[in-house]
Amino acid sequence: MGNLKVALFLAYKSILKGNRWALALIIMVMSLSFANLILTPSILSGVANTLNKQQVNTLFANVVIDPEEDEYYLDHVEQIENKIKQIPGVIGVSAHLNSSAFIEYQWQDKGSPADKGKSGNWSVIGIDPNQEVNVTTIHEHIIQGSYLEADDRDAIILGIEVAGGDSAQSSSFLTLEGVQVGDKVRLTYPNGVQREYRVKGIFHARETQADRLVFVTTKELTSVLGRTIFADRASQILVKIEQTGDERWFIEELETLGINGKIRSWREYGGAAGGIVSSFNVIASLINGIGLVVAAIVMFIVIYINVLNRKRQIGILRAIGIKTNIVIISYLIQALFYAVLGIIFGELIMHFAIEPYFTNYPLDLPLGLVSLGIEPSAILKAVLGLLLAAIFAGLIPVLSIIRQSIIKSIWGN
Amino acid sequence: MIKVRNLQKVYGQGSNATHALKGINITVKSGEFVAIMGRSGSGKSTLLHILGLLDMPTGGEIYIEDTNVLKSSERERARFRLEELGYVFQEYSLLGELTILENVYLPALCLAQVKDYKKRAVEMLTIVGLGERLTHYPNEVSGGEQQRAAIARALINKPKILFADEPTASLDATSAKIVLELFKRLNKDLGQTIVMVTHEPEDEKYVDRVIWLKDGLVWETSPQYDKISLALEGAPLLS
Repeated sequence: MGNLKVALFLAYKSILKGNRWALALIIMVMSLSFANLILTPSILSGVANTLNKQQVNTLFANVVIDPEEDEYYLDHVEQIENKIKQIPGVIGVSAHLNSSAFIEYQWQDKGSPADKGKSGNWSVIGIDPNQEVNVTTIHEHIIQGSYLEADDRDAIILGIEVAGGDSAQSSSFLTLEGVQVGDKVRLTYPNGVQREYRVKGIFHARETQADRLVFVTTKELTSVLGRTIFADRASQILVKIEQTGDERWFIEELETLGINGKIRSWREYGGAAGGIVSSFNVIASLINGIGLVVAAIVMFIVIYINVLNRKRQIGILRAIGIKTNIVIISYLIQALFYAVLGIIFGELIMHFAIEPYFTNYPLDLPLGLVSLGIEPSAILKAVLGLLLAAIFAGLIPVLSIIRQSIIKSIWGN
Repeated sequence: MIKVRNLQKVYGQGSNATHALKGINITVKSGEFVAIMGRSGSGKSTLLHILGLLDMPTGGEIYIEDTNVLKSSERERARFRLEELGYVFQEYSLLGELTILENVYLPALCLAQVKDYKKRAVEMLTIVGLGERLTHYPNEVSGGEQQRAAIARALINKPKILFADEPTASLDATSAKIVLELFKRLNKDLGQTIVMVTHEPEDEKYVDRVIWLKDGLVWETSPQYDKISLALEGAPLLS
């Protein structure tokens, strides 16, 4: 305890009366290192969050109810929807009727039936627009025209990767090569029914899978597939809840309702994104590891120069009988003090400068707007990493000086 | 108090070896004020460093009150330096980040049994005439005052022996005189054993005895030496 008291006293006086510029430099290095340790994983986490959010908002909502494996459709959809809406925390429920179609644009210009022209096969989803707006955000991503209305029968909305044009990422031959709002497209369904639709809207959800979808109203699709067979039936029911992350609890609640279907979280659908997120975690760990080593080396150099300037002082302390442990602990306390201040200032930089900047000016990536996803675990790792780096950077220089003889420390020979 | 037997110090190895001390035998009694003198390179500072346990010899023995201090560990030697020895360096050796008072009480702070370290430090500073400089930092006082503060620091733990390595070398004549008179007073009034390295001939008048070194050996250990005869024998001309 006595040793710690002396070490604290020496550290306190050293910091208080030491070189202010050196102190400022060390703390600046620590702050920026800390901010860097949080920034990199936060960007990657932001990308992962955006990917996840896009999947929830444009494809799956939070919970998806599918038919049992030996069934094609869910029955008594209205009843199920009403039951689900009773559960607290449910924002919206939307039944999807899924199909596919061979879609053609400017089919009149084709030279022969064998001419592919501007066509392709895409998924067609029948929705109740009034319900769907509570579950997905496709209606917010309309870039041309407008969203569907419940009574629309000859209207269709296309994802940008179906419509094609300059905003599409897919090669033009994989799209309809530039459909505009108001143009006509012809759909040929698997049962042979052929319908023409006016393109009412084109959406760009910045989610590749979603942007390859086509929506018509459930009323229209039911009439195409067979009104008597598909009344009160659905291919999927999507459920949106208030708090993403509460799916586990919510699924348990749903299972008590006796719904005849498979209930899954959106995460079980996001396999590809999950892989990307795992890869991001690996990349983030690698970048962080390198960042930590660089931070430790920079701190080591700055602290080493600082300690080297106090070499004679360390020699004098030892000469008057101060234990080497006290000297070491004193420098360790100083290094930890620098680290703690670096963490505090680094956190302030993140909280009041970098994070607001990314909120106001998110990265505009093809997958969407990405802001920082600062995870508590990333902060904890950065704190522990910086403290460890400070211990390493603080101990090594003083140990190297302590190993020298007292005479050499004081007089340098 | 101090018995030194066949003390040797060799720097380097083989053909590059330099024999700084070639077998020193000296004794310092309790309460003595001894000066170690000799020309540059005679080994006087090396001897003091080894006596002060700042450096280790190549061979020989040092007994301080019948304890062979060279057989102790580095940790024990550090404790011995703290509790039993005081050391005043040639150059100013105060810590610039501590006030004069803090510099003086620092060694006492390390001893758990010393509870009144501040009071004791004030007493020591009053003895050396710095009672008014307690809260000043070293760069705010003169060189002579710094050296007197270093002496107070060396005395704070009531050491058995006070070592001083050319303590007046960096001082002007007036400050040097004050420091030497202080040593003399500490020796006379408190019975403090002092071993001081010096190359100033006029310092002889303050000490009880001079140990002359030449080429790493003791040349003379008497206060009644004859400078002329020593000079005729090619002896230690003072540097």
